[in-house]
Amino acid sequence: MKKLTAVLVFVLLAGAAFAQKDSLAFDENNKYIYYQVVQQPGLAVDTLFNRALYFFKTAYPKSALKLDAVDRDKGSLTGSGSFLVSKKSLLTSHEDGSVTFTMRIDIKEGKYRYWLTDFVFNPYQRNRYNAYESIPGIYIPLEKPEGKIEKKDLAAYLNGVLTSSRKIGEKLKEYMTKVSAIKKDVGVKKISTKDW
Amino acid sequence: MKKRFLLCTVLAASLATFKATAATMPADTGKTAAPAADPPLVFSGSVDTYYKADFSGHSNIPTSFANENNSVSIGMIDLALKKKVGKAAFVGELSFGPRSDQSIPTSGYHIQNLYVSYDVTDKFNLTAGYMATFVGYEVISPAGNFNYSTSYLFTSGPFQNAGFKATYAFSDKVSLMAGIFNNQWNYYSSLNAAKTGSGDVSTFGAQLMVAPVKGWTAYLNLVTGSYSGTEFDLTTAYQITNAFKLGVNAATFSAPNNGGGFEGVALYPQIAVSPIVTFGLRGEYFKVKDNGGDVKAITVTSNIKAGPLTVIPEVRFDTKSDAFGAAFTDSNGMATNHASQFVLAAVYAF
Repeated sequence: MKKLTAVLVFVLLAGAAFAQKDSLAFDENNKYIYYQVVQQPGLAVDTLFNRALYFFKTAYPKSALKLDAVDRDKGSLTGSGSFLVSKKSLLTSHEDGSVTFTMRIDIKEGKYRYWLTDFVFNPYQRNRYNAYESIPGIYIPLEKPEGKIEKKDLAAYLNGVLTSSRKIGEKLKEYMTKVSAIKKDVGVKKISTKDW
Repeated sequence: MKKRFLLCTVLAASLATFKATAATMPADTGKTAAPAADPPLVFSGSVDTYYKADFSGHSNIPTSFANENNSVSIGMIDLALKKKVGKAAFVGELSFGPRSDQSIPTSGYHIQNLYVSYDVTDKFNLTAGYMATFVGYEVISPAGNFNYSTSYLFTSGPFQNAGFKATYAFSDKVSLMAGIFNNQWNYYSSLNAAKTGSGDVSTFGAQLMVAPVKGWTAYLNLVTGSYSGTEFDLTTAYQITNAFKLGVNAATFSAPNNGGGFEGVALYPQIAVSPIVTFGLRGEYFKVKDNGGDVKAITVTSNIKAGPLTVIPEVRFDTKSDAFGAAFTDSNGMATNHASQFVLAAVYAF
């Protein structure tokens, strides 16, 4: 019984450690950052760089993510984008606002790193057509919510930022792993029922 | 032996996971991801209730909604569904209550919005159905307004327009909408369509949106038709700082067959003193054409937010000319040109 309890404790610890893997952090300037380093052994800088470039150009519509700057000598690419955040409940869900961000990818031999930062919140409001739209002119850096965003709301928005950052990271990983896998032009397989 | 092996395996897995995490992450804030799953159907709405006290002891101010005096009364329950799959979307919004009844001319009809839309491209959208009007600053839903009482301009203009419209966005800063709508405002069917089948879709509407600088949007609206008349409307709002916003609404309406009309202007300065409390003023001048008199109204409103609940205390002072049609009377029942009221409302939006 004691051994079984010990096993359960370790399972829980392993789970907790895994849950912390995709956390937001503060960078050296005290700005929220989602930062990852990914090993990609055996792949040349050029290959990884071209895949990252392809990611910026095709992974999302330009309204969601666009390429701003490329420095092939330094192996870095920088872009900017936005995603929606909301406070979700059991039955209702609508956009509370959008969060803009900048994204940078640095390439080295056999590995790359990326981060999302400069998270700025733009609140949405209900319009007359029952759609939620941006309130123009209100832009709040998530590091400076004091007096502008309530604590409970901020926690929900940060969770949204983390979820969206993780999704972007996962999509980048797909592109960086194998470009051909991105082009999902898989036709329907033909099978002959005559010979078996 | 098996248990020991299992224990060792779990321990090794735990350490490996922790090591991978520690190698890639800077200082942790402890925020972890919430499970993300977009609901297939978005459900939202609001309910509102209020208490009104006219200082004369009886109702005077004739603008839309919140009419019962010295009564804890209700506005409406508003329930909206919307869904978008790919480029196609729909919105259906139902409402029940006195505010709903006063906003819809057809008895027993409880629809505020019912339309379908399709994004032909990223910049070009087509929409058809029964929609809240594109004209004016204020709206029917209490969750969409800052003030709880409504302006004379809102009360006199269209509430809904049923029709078909196309919107093209030239850029983030300029877009143009043009459409054809039923000949009569507010109704879901055109005039006489139900009785004779001879209604027509003859009202033309257009809206030019410009956003000259960040935080400033302006809408120039036109709705014109031989049955309902012609209204030009300018609605604009400028979020000058994160705390201060200024809105302006100006309109002129000409009824068909030289039947008079109205014109007016309203200013909406608002200042947020905290994430919870915002103060706002509405100053309006409204004139009925052809010597129908005028009225000036000052409304001081606060929005106090507690999550999805907004508490709205409001005081309002109206002063009219002798020729203005509404009859104001004082506490003795004598005619007067002044009316004032206090409203305490609560709006819960979800």
